[in-house]
Amino acid sequence: MKQFLAAAMLAGAIALPMTALAADYTIMAPAGPGGGWDQTARAMQDAMTTTGISGNVQVINVPGAGGTIGLAQFAQEANGDPTRLLVGGYVMVGAILTNNAPVKLDAVTPIARLTGEYEVIVVPAASELLSLADLTTKLKADPGAVSWAGGSAGGTDHITAGLFAKTVGVDPKLVNYIAFSGGGEALAAVLGNQVTVGISGYGEFQAQVEAGALRVLGVSAPERISVIDAPTFTEAGVELVVQNWRGVWAGPGLSAEQTAAITADVEKVVNSESWKQTLATKGWNNTWLPGDAFKAQLAKEIDATSAILKDIGLVQ
Amino acid sequence: MDTFALLLQGLAVAAQPINLLYALIGVTLGTAVGVLPGIGPATTVALLLPVTYKLDPAGSLIMFAGIYYGGMYGGSTTSILLNTPGESASIVTALEGNKMAKAGRGGPALATAAIGSFVAGLIATIALAFLAPWVVKLALAFGPREYFALMVLAFVTVSAAFGDSALRGLTSLFVGLTLGIVGIDLQTGQARLNFGVPDLLDGIEITTLAVAMFAIGETLYVAAQGKRAPETVEPVRGSLWMSARDWARSWKPWLRGTVIGFPIGAMPAGGAEIGTFFSYATEKKLSKHPEEFGKGAIEGVAGPEAANNASAAGTLVPLLTLGLPTSATAAIMLAGFQQYGLQPGPLLFTSNPQLVWGLIASLLIANFMLLVLNLPLIGLWVRLLTIPKPWLYAGILLFATLGTIGANPSLVELGMLLVFGLMGFGMRVFGFPIAPVVVGLILGPMAEQQLRRALAISQGDVMVLVASPISATLLAIAAVALILPLVLRAMGRGRILSEVATDND
Amino acid sequence: MAPGAMRTRERRRPDWAALLVAVGLLGLAALVAWDASRLGAGGAYARVGPQTIPYAIAICLGSLSIWTVFAAYRHDFPKRDQQDPGPVLWIVGGLLAQIALIKFTGFSIATGVLFAMTARGMGRVSLPLALLSGILISAAVWFVFGRLLQLTLPAGPIEHLLVQGAELIVAPFKAAPGGAV
Repeated sequence: MKQFLAAAMLAGAIALPMTALAADYTIMAPAGPGGGWDQTARAMQDAMTTTGISGNVQVINVPGAGGTIGLAQFAQEANGDPTRLLVGGYVMVGAILTNNAPVKLDAVTPIARLTGEYEVIVVPAASELLSLADLTTKLKADPGAVSWAGGSAGGTDHITAGLFAKTVGVDPKLVNYIAFSGGGEALAAVLGNQVTVGISGYGEFQAQVEAGALRVLGVSAPERISVIDAPTFTEAGVELVVQNWRGVWAGPGLSAEQTAAITADVEKVVNSESWKQTLATKGWNNTWLPGDAFKAQLAKEIDATSAILKDIGLVQ
Repeated sequence: MDTFALLLQGLAVAAQPINLLYALIGVTLGTAVGVLPGIGPATTVALLLPVTYKLDPAGSLIMFAGIYYGGMYGGSTTSILLNTPGESASIVTALEGNKMAKAGRGGPALATAAIGSFVAGLIATIALAFLAPWVVKLALAFGPREYFALMVLAFVTVSAAFGDSALRGLTSLFVGLTLGIVGIDLQTGQARLNFGVPDLLDGIEITTLAVAMFAIGETLYVAAQGKRAPETVEPVRGSLWMSARDWARSWKPWLRGTVIGFPIGAMPAGGAEIGTFFSYATEKKLSKHPEEFGKGAIEGVAGPEAANNASAAGTLVPLLTLGLPTSATAAIMLAGFQQYGLQPGPLLFTSNPQLVWGLIASLLIANFMLLVLNLPLIGLWVRLLTIPKPWLYAGILLFATLGTIGANPSLVELGMLLVFGLMGFGMRVFGFPIAPVVVGLILGPMAEQQLRRALAISQGDVMVLVASPISATLLAIAAVALILPLVLRAMGRGRILSEVATDND
Repeated sequence: MAPGAMRTRERRRPDWAALLVAVGLLGLAALVAWDASRLGAGGAYARVGPQTIPYAIAICLGSLSIWTVFAAYRHDFPKRDQQDPGPVLWIVGGLLAQIALIKFTGFSIATGVLFAMTARGMGRVSLPLALLSGILISAAVWFVFGRLLQLTLPAGPIEHLLVQGAELIVAPFKAAPGGAV
């Protein structure tokens, strides 16, 4: 009987999406199904339906060019429409600059920063580099001899590597950054001793670090993180904090009341059990920052990112 | 508990009737979505994963395995019957498979694909269970220079296997390589050949090109033949099932495909399609009927289909042993595993043996279920070809565009479908082979990026490319494969020339 | 002597269409080279930058173009049959119509038009019948993939109608959540 019920529930689960038409919220993930933005959008969808904020939430995927294609489409379609949300993150900031995208983040209304992840620098367990100081010494002696494996050029990993070099007094242009297409490929290169260091979000390396195959040299967090047995960059004398965050935006042309109502709904999502459970299973940190504070932080980051991308030579 | 006992226990759980039902639902859903051209296993798994959340862990794991294998398998059916590859790993299947279908041998083609997938899935899943730690060591020994050498070898073997004219084959390949440049350069973030169109920044989607060139190009070509083309295809000529001869010609390719596909799937930058290329080239070389290749040789379906399924199991090797998601599909599966509290990584086999063996048992069951579902359906699928031509091709275009829109709802993507479709039509008229274009688009960017990574790491020292034993060996094999046929041909041509000369006298 | 003379005359006259292919390849080579020339250097350590491979490909395309010219004079290309332009135009028109319509009319109507025009191009079929069946099939496909499986497929009037209809049918069952299905 229990099994029959489970099967019945499954049938119900498949049938569920067809039950309503007018979506109370439509969330755009400017990436294909399965990635971080898509997962964030679908977790919000889940939280909104289970908490009763909205009976019907749709997620649409518009992949392409680091989210800039979705952003351009969203800015146009969601103008004055309080039912539309856009998920995005720090990667978009860099992508807009490197792609010289015509539609920028100022074309949409920032609602809140939701989650974040910190960058770590790792080496294979057998590496001669034992601390950030060792890395700094080696980098200063011969920048080309330190190869950094991370994600695509101009992404968060590359930006962090550039900022790190700049902070320790090495020209960011000289960073020998090797871009890999997926997190897995960069990790394989580090594990196989193909490169000197790896740089990416902690989640990419976590399992290997726990198994003792990789050593964390430093974390880009403002203060020590309990689960990571390594100093922050700042503790090691490198004044640098980088957060790879994800956030949510609404369309342009909304009234203050409409923006406030959306912010309240998103806050309800963040405080819901369903959302907390998602963060726990996926290992995301809650870095909630709503409204104007988010907007100010965003403006600051856009300036800093633009400066470092010029230093690295990715943006003219 | 030892490995074997754990596996048996997992199988016992997976074989409960309710779990078998979940497996059946999983493979059915997976096949249904995976059959759409452009929607590969990655998107299929991503879309259907939420369905599995509502079940208990064992049930959802089993359904998930079913979706994964179903999504992998779905693509080959359309490749064979409609010349419309469902995903990049079944492009090679279309080459021989569709020719077979047109000759009334769609039944045996589908059967050898299904059974080959099953055999390869079975062997590779067992290999995953027992060989994973060793295979992963081999995979990690591959750095940028080794991958570059592997790509060079792939270029050489594959271009030897396509087409009868060196000029037209190379032209097709270089058109593909040109298309491969389009998009953001991974190493420097600069846009190449995108002409200011933002939709081109991510490059040209392989499945879009394949669907356009194969399905739409073919439709236009058939249309342009007007009344000369036969009104309908005879769906079954000879037996619907594989004859004794088909079996005899299939079993070796299945095994060879498995041996080729599994380790390449396990390599972090390998990819299922590379295995299918190697398998196709190998079968053509070893076949006793090389003249049938290009006209519907069953080996050319059996080998690559086994290779792509073995790759699918191979992908799980680094994922389970290292927590390394080496493909889009694997990245999504990682997200799925986390949902079941399964944290892939080096500690997984020791810390969570029940779940790992449960998963492996589920894969075996899903694999079996796929065979049970698909063999009886072959008769039905083949009947698709009896649909009168106007309706059949209208349906093909409907599904081709559906897959493209579903994967990326952008007008530029639809525009590319049309442009590349016209290109595929033009190339058919002039006798240019289609497959090398797709091969160039797949291999070109990989080879370029790996070369540049290798050289950046060595700070510009070219000798590094031959400094490792693996890369040196691979490059040496590639050199032999390139030069030997040229020498043989030169000798052969000399003979023919002298014969011609005597004729004229 | 007559057959021999004819053969030489045929040899002298190039395969014009193949020459056109050669021109196309040369144009492509120039395009690739031009695009590479405006790229910044980058890849300082590798000494192989984003321009290197494009230049190499452009050179190869150029060489293939020259080779094609020789082939055109030697008539190395296979015999081409007469191509029938009518059906091709129908199908290309169908694809263009789908691109033009899909944002405004939704998936079903746009794809229905494509279906009908393709069927018409492929043989003698009644256009209204093809259009009707095309729209019906597309609507069913939209419902399965867009609604049940959550693919992002553009919606229009037919899709909205479909969803409202489904809602009416499902409504009685919704009253008892988790109940019998």
